[in-house]
Amino acid sequence: MAPHDRLTAAFPHSLAGEHPAPLLQVEALDVSYGATRVVTDVGFSLGRGRSLALIGESGSGKSTIARTVLRLLPGSAHVQGRVSFDGEDILGLSERRFRPLRGRAIGFVPQDPGNALNPVRTIGSQAMEAAALTDARDPRIARERILETFAEVGLDNPRRVFDSYPHQLSGGMLQRVLIGLAVLPRPLLLVADEPTSALDVTIQKHILDLLSRLREDLDISLLLITHDLAIAAERADSIVVLKDGSVQEAGPTATVFAAPSSPYARKLHADVPALNPDRYAALRDLGLRRLADPGQTPKISVRKLTKTFEVDGKVLTAVNNVSFSVSPGTTHALVGESGSGKTTTIRLLLGLEQPDSGEISVAGETLTGRTRRSMQAAWRHLQLVYQNPFTSLDPTWTVERLVREPLDRFRIGTPKERAEWVRAALVDVGLGAHLVTRKPQALSGGQRQRVAIARSLVLRPDVIVLDEPTSALDVSVQADIVAVLLELQAKLGLTYVFVSHDLALVRQLAHTVSVMRHGRIVEHGTVCDIFETPRDPYTAALLHSIPSSTVAPARTRSPRPAPQAVVGTAVIGQEQIA
Amino acid sequence: MNGAYPTYAAKRLAQAAVVILLAYVFTFVVVSILPGDPITSVLRNPQNGFTEEEIAQIVAAQGLDRPVLVQLWSSLSGFLTGDLGLSMRSSRPVTTMIAEVLPSTLILATSALFLAVVLAVVIAYGTQVVPKRYGQGLLRAFPSLFLSVPNFVIGLVLIHLFGFQLGLFRVINPDSAWATFFAAITLAIPISAQIAEVLIASLDHEAGQDYIAVARGRGLPPFRLFTRHLLKPSSLPVVTVIALTIGELLGGSLITETVFGRTGIGSLVQRSVSTQDLPVLQAVVSLAAVVFVLSNLIADLVYPLLDPRVKLLGARTPRTSAPKPAGATAP
Amino acid sequence: MTLLSTAAAARLAPPRRRPALPPLPVAAALVFVALVIAWSLAPGLFTGHDPVAGVPADKLLGPSLAHWFGTDHLGRDVFARVVFGSASSVTSALIAVVIGVLAGGLIGLVAGFLGGWVDTVLARFVDVLLAIPKFLLAVIVVTAIGFDTINAAIATGVSAVAVFARVMRSEVIKTREATFVEASFLSGGSRWHILARHVLPNASRSVLPLAVLHFGDSILVIASLAFLGYGDPPPASDWGLLISIGKDYPKWPWLVYAPALVTIATVLSVNRISRWLRTTD
Repeated sequence: MAPHDRLTAAFPHSLAGEHPAPLLQVEALDVSYGATRVVTDVGFSLGRGRSLALIGESGSGKSTIARTVLRLLPGSAHVQGRVSFDGEDILGLSERRFRPLRGRAIGFVPQDPGNALNPVRTIGSQAMEAAALTDARDPRIARERILETFAEVGLDNPRRVFDSYPHQLSGGMLQRVLIGLAVLPRPLLLVADEPTSALDVTIQKHILDLLSRLREDLDISLLLITHDLAIAAERADSIVVLKDGSVQEAGPTATVFAAPSSPYARKLHADVPALNPDRYAALRDLGLRRLADPGQTPKISVRKLTKTFEVDGKVLTAVNNVSFSVSPGTTHALVGESGSGKTTTIRLLLGLEQPDSGEISVAGETLTGRTRRSMQAAWRHLQLVYQNPFTSLDPTWTVERLVREPLDRFRIGTPKERAEWVRAALVDVGLGAHLVTRKPQALSGGQRQRVAIARSLVLRPDVIVLDEPTSALDVSVQADIVAVLLELQAKLGLTYVFVSHDLALVRQLAHTVSVMRHGRIVEHGTVCDIFETPRDPYTAALLHSIPSSTVAPARTRSPRPAPQAVVGTAVIGQEQIA
Repeated sequence: MNGAYPTYAAKRLAQAAVVILLAYVFTFVVVSILPGDPITSVLRNPQNGFTEEEIAQIVAAQGLDRPVLVQLWSSLSGFLTGDLGLSMRSSRPVTTMIAEVLPSTLILATSALFLAVVLAVVIAYGTQVVPKRYGQGLLRAFPSLFLSVPNFVIGLVLIHLFGFQLGLFRVINPDSAWATFFAAITLAIPISAQIAEVLIASLDHEAGQDYIAVARGRGLPPFRLFTRHLLKPSSLPVVTVIALTIGELLGGSLITETVFGRTGIGSLVQRSVSTQDLPVLQAVVSLAAVVFVLSNLIADLVYPLLDPRVKLLGARTPRTSAPKPAGATAP
Repeated sequence: MTLLSTAAAARLAPPRRRPALPPLPVAAALVFVALVIAWSLAPGLFTGHDPVAGVPADKLLGPSLAHWFGTDHLGRDVFARVVFGSASSVTSALIAVVIGVLAGGLIGLVAGFLGGWVDTVLARFVDVLLAIPKFLLAVIVVTAIGFDTINAAIATGVSAVAVFARVMRSEVIKTREATFVEASFLSGGSRWHILARHVLPNASRSVLPLAVLHFGDSILVIASLAFLGYGDPPPASDWGLLISIGKDYPKWPWLVYAPALVTIATVLSVNRISRWLRTTD
């Protein structure tokens, strides 16, 4: 029933290689919910001890495939096709016959470690369930084995972890626990569904290293689900690229990565910041020239900023003696992991919080010590774009009203002029006029963020603060948004403060950087200096955590469209259709 | 947590005391001040048929000739010392009157609560165990149906079926265990629906959580998945709901006792309403508020001991704009 | 398999578009509620019988084509009495809901938006209202202001104030802390602008289904008050009163079952509509 020709075409290597019978083979898989088909005719195979990455953006069906293999789909899902594991068609097995394979033969590492353990039971009691899958019947031996495994996955204090409740551990520790529990019964296959996307970048690398190490030591096959092409290329032997539930391209990593043949894989490759540091070089050069101009006075100047909070009776210094300045028409990036104080810093900059000490001036005007009322005057020239466009737009308002709100509130222009400016702002961010009557609910994530940018743009401010504006979006949408932002900077001479945890992205678009950790700036300088010669060990660790594929990216062959062209036509056109 | 718990408990205790006092004052305002002057509106009401001498006696006994604030003060201080005053109608101490009928209502209310919890648990767990094609939908429809039927209709139907048709109990002056059982069922049905609704929502929510999928991926069979993973986290909200419904048991006893012709707090209220015996009404409403506040206090005190996630500090205080503490994600 | 049924499906399955037409049970519920409203607006169109004056010769007849719900002890057509009684039952439930929504909504809005000591004071007041069992509260309020159907409706409304206040307050607090409210503030929005244009519309969204749900609940509470005799006296024909009179004739059960079934069907329909409103939003 399965179209074998298709598979052989996609995987000449794995079928003809040293493992004649693959451990996991998926053929002609279709999954649908009612009339909606989410996976269409997907096929791939994974050999023993090998690793395969399913890669795609949200809605690509990658998680559905993973859950099909684990048979964890909800009852409303309709599955067709063949999934054979170790020579047996697992879709045809009864629940009772399949259950012994779960955990014992197929382990599962979920996406969000914070939600993957029962919150009201100790980690130990849940670990005992995993241990029960091994031959350790004696609880003491089982416990011993769990503690060994915890140590093996890099948990410092296995006993303490054993007695803890999930909420008492950090995300990175929890993911180690989950990986430990998954490998404890020594499964043949490990299915990891975005195992690092909920974690900080430096921890991400540790977890991926751990997975790679365990895979080699224990000879486990890995089915890795990820949205990140760079991670896939670094960690998997072969790659399957998915879009809208069907395979766009598949094959050994070296082939897919170095010479992607399908248009989608090529675009995906071009959109990953880590693989294309110079994508926006032409647009960024303008700012670099402004930076080099010695006669400039800084647009933004932040001096010795300190802010403490009282949390549960303890004093917490969120921002500690932070200083930086930004030249007009350039982008300054604040980089750090969660809890580094970067978000508090920009809230202070915007006057949404008052600093304990320090001074902020924007365009020569001091902002510190002002009342909220007099801050409002400053916001005409100083705007913010929030991280999550799903929460920053009032769901009951239309696009036009949302973008017009600042004009209405500051009473700028006549109603006719306002309508004109709203249209202009929407054109600037590449949104079509037919969207103005829609509410946020009827827009895609990328469209929503464009609306948010249009709203901050409509007042024609000098400075826009961008709080991780793309971190809630897919990588291809991120590339579109970044292109829009850089084009606007080039056209209008805007000054950006760009907050991000993604160093690869910062390298693409920023001119100067401050690296923050625990509320302090540990290092600052131009992007060039920081990325070439980091002085602080933490900066070096951050840089090290950028996935760099073991396969050398063939830059010369990867078709990289000129940035201008991307901004002008192709990308914006694509979003409009959506 | 251990250090924070006594502070938390003391705070909740003080809050509960304040609410009880305010509830007493509120009831006093509604019962004694809203109808206007009780001497003309109640005592001189020809329906009540008091003679002028009796009226003078009652006015003196109740202190109705004093200013309202003084009345409130003496009433409140009586309440705090356990003295609920005298009935306007019979001049007997209200405390005695309540004590006489309380046992009957307590039996009814506790058996109703027990039945409600059992019924709710059967329905709610049933929705998780019974497959879709074997009537899961029907089970899910039960709470909504239960909440749509007037309490007294349930009582009348039960009396009609089991009293008249099957003759399980005497309809006039019923006193058998069967009569109590059916009265308790009547009272239990709407309450079970509320508990079941919360329990079903909680079960559905928890069943969709990742940790259930992960535990399934660990090879747990459905029954053990249910008992070991789903049962406890999904049942925690029930503690709160049960406390919230305890007050309704008293309210519902009013209807149930009338329909079944039982004596109890409910029928006492019914009688006092028709004779406008204000001190009795004031006492019963205050008693209900005390029961409600205390059961919620107990629920709030027990909850943190059951759920390891609850952080006591900051749990009830408004969130500041402070960001998450740094270092919380240290690996 | 059912362990992972609904919730997981909702998360994994692609989001469904809001259906243009309500599902069949909801449509049936809407039709029935419309019928009841029609009864209360123009009862004369639905029955030729007189609800007050009976034909003594026809007393206590069983349901038939001539008398759908039979006749009562005075020979009055029960269907006619139910139809003519719906006006009072529906209107009083409406009054109760309006009181609950307006008073409760205002308390919740002010408490949630202003915060501080205003919130503390109002929150304690709501706690007090919540501490008194709803039905008991309705009973003492109706005792205080006098027995008739409108007063019963007012009492029912008062007993619902706390619930609306609490929901409104938590919705307002949730909305007030939403990112889009801060975004409006950064766009130069004043407090009043934010309250009227952002907080109120968003917070009200979850109050609508609750109000519909309470409409059904109020029908039950008012029927219970009427059953105890705290509403208008006969010959009024509130549904609760009809059941109360019917219970004295246990040999002629349709006197209880007919008005009871109409009450149940109405409340069930209203509940179903409320649930539908909650899920489609």
